[in-house]
Amino acid sequence: MNATSYRIILCDGTSCINKGSRKLADVLNEQLARHGLTERVTIGLSGCLGMCEKGPILVVNPGYTIYGNVTENDIPQIVEEHLVNGDPIARLVIQEDHLYNRFFRVFGDAKFFGKQMRITLRNCGIIDPESIDDYLSLRGYEALAKAITDMTPEQVIAEVEKSGLRGRGGAGFPTGRKWKLTAAEKATPKYVICNADEGDPGAFMDRSAIEGDPHTIVEGMAIGGYAIGAQTGIVYIRAEYPLAIKRIRRAIEDARSHGLLGKNILGSNFSFDIEIRLGAGAFVCGEETALIHSIEGARGMPRPRPPYPAAVGLFSQPTLINNVETWANIPVILLDGANWFRTVGTETSKGTKVFALAGKVVNTGLIEVPMGTTLREIIYDVGGGIPFGKRFKSVQTGGPSGGCLPEQYLDTPIDYESLARAGSIMGSGGMIVIDEDSCMVDVARFFLEFTQDESCGKCTPCREGTKRMLEILTRITEGKGRPGDIENLERLGGMIKKSALCGLGQSAPNPVLSTIKNFREEYEEHIHQKRCRAKACKSLVNYEITDKCVGCGACRRACPVSAISGSPKSRHALDQNKCIRCGMCFTTCKFEAIAKV
Amino acid sequence: MPTPLELVKKKRAEAVSRIIGKGYLSTKRVYVGMATCEIAAGSKDVMEVFQKAVSRGLTDVYLSQKGCAGRCNLEPTVEVIEAGKSPVKYGKVDKDRAQQIIERHLKNGEVIKEWVID
Repeated sequence: MNATSYRIILCDGTSCINKGSRKLADVLNEQLARHGLTERVTIGLSGCLGMCEKGPILVVNPGYTIYGNVTENDIPQIVEEHLVNGDPIARLVIQEDHLYNRFFRVFGDAKFFGKQMRITLRNCGIIDPESIDDYLSLRGYEALAKAITDMTPEQVIAEVEKSGLRGRGGAGFPTGRKWKLTAAEKATPKYVICNADEGDPGAFMDRSAIEGDPHTIVEGMAIGGYAIGAQTGIVYIRAEYPLAIKRIRRAIEDARSHGLLGKNILGSNFSFDIEIRLGAGAFVCGEETALIHSIEGARGMPRPRPPYPAAVGLFSQPTLINNVETWANIPVILLDGANWFRTVGTETSKGTKVFALAGKVVNTGLIEVPMGTTLREIIYDVGGGIPFGKRFKSVQTGGPSGGCLPEQYLDTPIDYESLARAGSIMGSGGMIVIDEDSCMVDVARFFLEFTQDESCGKCTPCREGTKRMLEILTRITEGKGRPGDIENLERLGGMIKKSALCGLGQSAPNPVLSTIKNFREEYEEHIHQKRCRAKACKSLVNYEITDKCVGCGACRRACPVSAISGSPKSRHALDQNKCIRCGMCFTTCKFEAIAKV
Repeated sequence: MPTPLELVKKKRAEAVSRIIGKGYLSTKRVYVGMATCEIAAGSKDVMEVFQKAVSRGLTDVYLSQKGCAGRCNLEPTVEVIEAGKSPVKYGKVDKDRAQQIIERHLKNGEVIKEWVID
């Protein structure tokens, strides 16, 4: 008798559900009970495992045995032979050498990772990022070699185009088309750039990708260079990421010493090398034309497009510029194939998206989910819901350029078009969950404060317009809002969207406009009733001492302006005229005797 | 003249044998998270504990660093992977937990359930 504990994973992707995977779960439970295995065998559900054509898929761990085309009739055999006797059933096993599912072998049984699908982060967390051997052992650089050996540059581009991959930096431009446009340019030399100037507050997708698997970026860029006919690649990365810089530098050096970068790569006619340029941390340098100016040694400011960098880019030469996450998809597309890649995601958005899940959610973290996963699944299934039993209020996607979506949009599937229709954007992958304790006006003010501070100042709408909007917002949160403020914000926001020079300016009003659209009543309460329902705007909150007060005196000693008085062991009193609403008494009190009203 | 594809496959075979030479086939493989976020949470100390144990004669263990798997709120994380068993993922590992993982799990095969991420 075999006493191993097993964990069975049933694919719960749409395709497998359609093929009857949920019915399998019922039969499985029944069989487990019959054999008295319910203690030793647990069942978990996963998101799409990317093997739809062979579904329903059932995975048995340990051993990572993948069974495909499983029917109800197969279940008794799986239970008896595999789970009881320990013998996998050869006729049902499917051999998969996909790149993406390696991560799943280590982490697949944990609930947090179950709904995820790791394509770009496939090696993050399972290999030593500073070892080229580790990367090579997982079919590293095979995609590059395959491209050079078996494919013409045109075929590589055709494969990327067919995959349906779109730019992961935020705008979602079809990657294959960008490659094609750059390849079609006659001028040489051409350049390839990796945009690793990650600047959204709270976002760390690119940092983690580079720190966890730098060779993927190197390989992706080399493939890009081969496809468009470039010999030089540049990684533009912010200086605030020292470890990421160290690891990408190490990866480039190791690749060079293995003949995977440099002259005549792997004995072929193709030569390509990569340099690193450090950014000084200006948000605007994530915008491609500003980034190019920064590399050229000029001040990082955008310029009008067209011409696009594909035609007139770095040093006025044709330049292919993609985001870190976009590059990381390339080796997978070439090895697992565009046809496979297309099976993941939705009609218009293929593949997966990485998000930095943060804010009021139990499991904060870095996640990668197939396009088409709903916001609800991300927040509740992966993120584990809202902590401390608080109510969900809003989710902010797309960083400072995105919008805040309220509860009724929770079933929106993640893809470029659906998010745009809902009034937000995909963006580069920031996702901040907001609960009832946050004030939406204050959230909008926070994001606008960031974009205003980071405005490069070149165009008037962004430089002056965001400044004026911020003034109005600040006034509202201080309880000095005036009738007409909301309309002014809408008018200014609309103008900035239409007239700012670059994408960052054009999207800067988004957090404000989306909160006005979805939470207009909060703005109105601030302006007309001088009330903040979340009790987050300091100026609109009054503190009161309730009858829970035991007279310990802690608040009296903590108050910096001596607004609290009272004798020991008797209920204290707070002088509203002296109170500066700093909240010290509230945080000091151990008896919950201070109330916000 | 081998093709680039043949060359890369040869490189892979060499890489695999080098990794095996470093002890990859040991009974237990231990991965310590060493991304910026993990380090900020204290993983350098954790790594040191494991390194010290190995240098002081803990055998049959393959120790490696790894990037961030994405479990921000449970970092530092450590995985113990054993052939034929489900990988064990530990969260919030500090120096003390690392020492206990060495004593109880690596030496005695006990999975310390209360620290396991599921």
